Amino acid sequence: MASASAASVTFRALSKPSLKSNVTSSLKIVSLGWRKNGFPSLRSSQFRISCAAKPETLDKVCEIVRKQLALPAEAELTPESKFSAVGADSLDTVEIVMALEEEFGISVEEESSQNITIVQEAADLIEKLVQKKPEA
Amino acid sequence: MILSRRVVISAMNAVCFKRSFATASSPLVPVQLPSRKEAHLWYVVPDEVKSSALLHNYLDILSPSEKENVFHKRGEQLQKAALLARVLVRTTIARYQINGQVDPRSLKFKKNIHGKPELEWNDDQCQCAPSLQFNISHTSSLILCGVTVDSLIGVDLEEKQRKLKNNILAFARRYFTPHEVKFLSSISDPVVQQQYFVKLWTLKESYVKALGKGFSGLPFRMFTIQFRTAEKGNSCPSGETNNKGEIIVKSLEDVNSFSSNWQFALLELAGSHYAAICMEKDEAVEGEVPTPMKLTVRKTIPYVRDELISGPDAFVISGLT
Repeated sequence: MASASAASVTFRALSKPSLKSNVTSSLKIVSLGWRKNGFPSLRSSQFRISCAAKPETLDKVCEIVRKQLALPAEAELTPESKFSAVGADSLDTVEIVMALEEEFGISVEEESSQNITIVQEAADLIEKLVQKKPEA
Repeated sequence: MILSRRVVISAMNAVCFKRSFATASSPLVPVQLPSRKEAHLWYVVPDEVKSSALLHNYLDILSPSEKENVFHKRGEQLQKAALLARVLVRTTIARYQINGQVDPRSLKFKKNIHGKPELEWNDDQCQCAPSLQFNISHTSSLILCGVTVDSLIGVDLEEKQRKLKNNILAFARRYFTPHEVKFLSSISDPVVQQQYFVKLWTLKESYVKALGKGFSGLPFRMFTIQFRTAEKGNSCPSGETNNKGEIIVKSLEDVNSFSSNWQFALLELAGSHYAAICMEKDEAVEGEVPTPMKLTVRKTIPYVRDELISGPDAFVISGLT
């Protein structure tokens, strides 16, 4: 949702505020066209966003985490959930990464595993690696 | 066997502890520093810590950020384990005092670049030996802290029965070395194979933790852990308690050499866990016959009870002692 005021454009995150930092850090605004009356026109051809992970990817990560940790159905798991907070130890985290590799057909360097501390980070990394894959 | 060294506490300290620990029956019993070739192991069994008043008092020992960390854990069991882990670290280190009592609350910690916790010293905190090294590991049912003087140490705990969701060999092929995969493949009994998987995992974890690098700092496929029996030079699944043997680590960059700077011990703790201990070797004995790693194991409920432990609750499976 874009709202313009004077010369600035601000984007408000659609969902939880904590996701905002992920969205804004991934936004790459190429250019915005301005009409005579001052409202910006967001022409899709000039407006490119590289988003955080797709909702389906996030869902799949959550599903795999739940399975690995045998979380009860009522246990809350959000994109911001820390693996360690829901009871994943180092072996669980490695097993989760292995399951994600198999699910998405990617390869995660061990060096990257210290950057995967919350569900969102795992999903973002998957998205990045999936995009890098050569076209089938 | 109970550690019952009676310590006369100064009036000031008695007041300090009495205020916070109304339910505690004894103060922290101070202990002598470990010798240079020795590691002290302290463990807590969370299920034995039942008093909510005691747990409440334990919370007082933690720093604000540690408390926050505990409350971020989901569920009582995880919170309790996280709390007891910090309590164990702080109270254990506080016992090794040279000049008078150390308040566990006063200890400060920092993390190295890979996230390994270390003690942070002020000039005025000279009561504890500045060369104390420690490392901690816990499951939901056991908390372990290892302490040495000067030697880097890494400890890792795992439940003996820990089952993988993945296939063991598939997991090993992905994360371990070809030598270790071959070793695990050679074990036909699935129960023994699972046990050796857990032993390998904990030993590898203890090594990267001793180095202060962690799993992401030193991928497991870069080094091999081998069990050497006393009789043969080759590694093979040795007998459990009689055949102690030796555990060595080899870097994959130079397979013919092995890292002689590090020694390992593998223990069975409390009948339920494997504990791997990795310790830097004392330089003085480089090149000589490997000196045994000396271990002193104590079970504790801080401020309540300490017990010196020997087998069957803590016995060494592999690694010289």
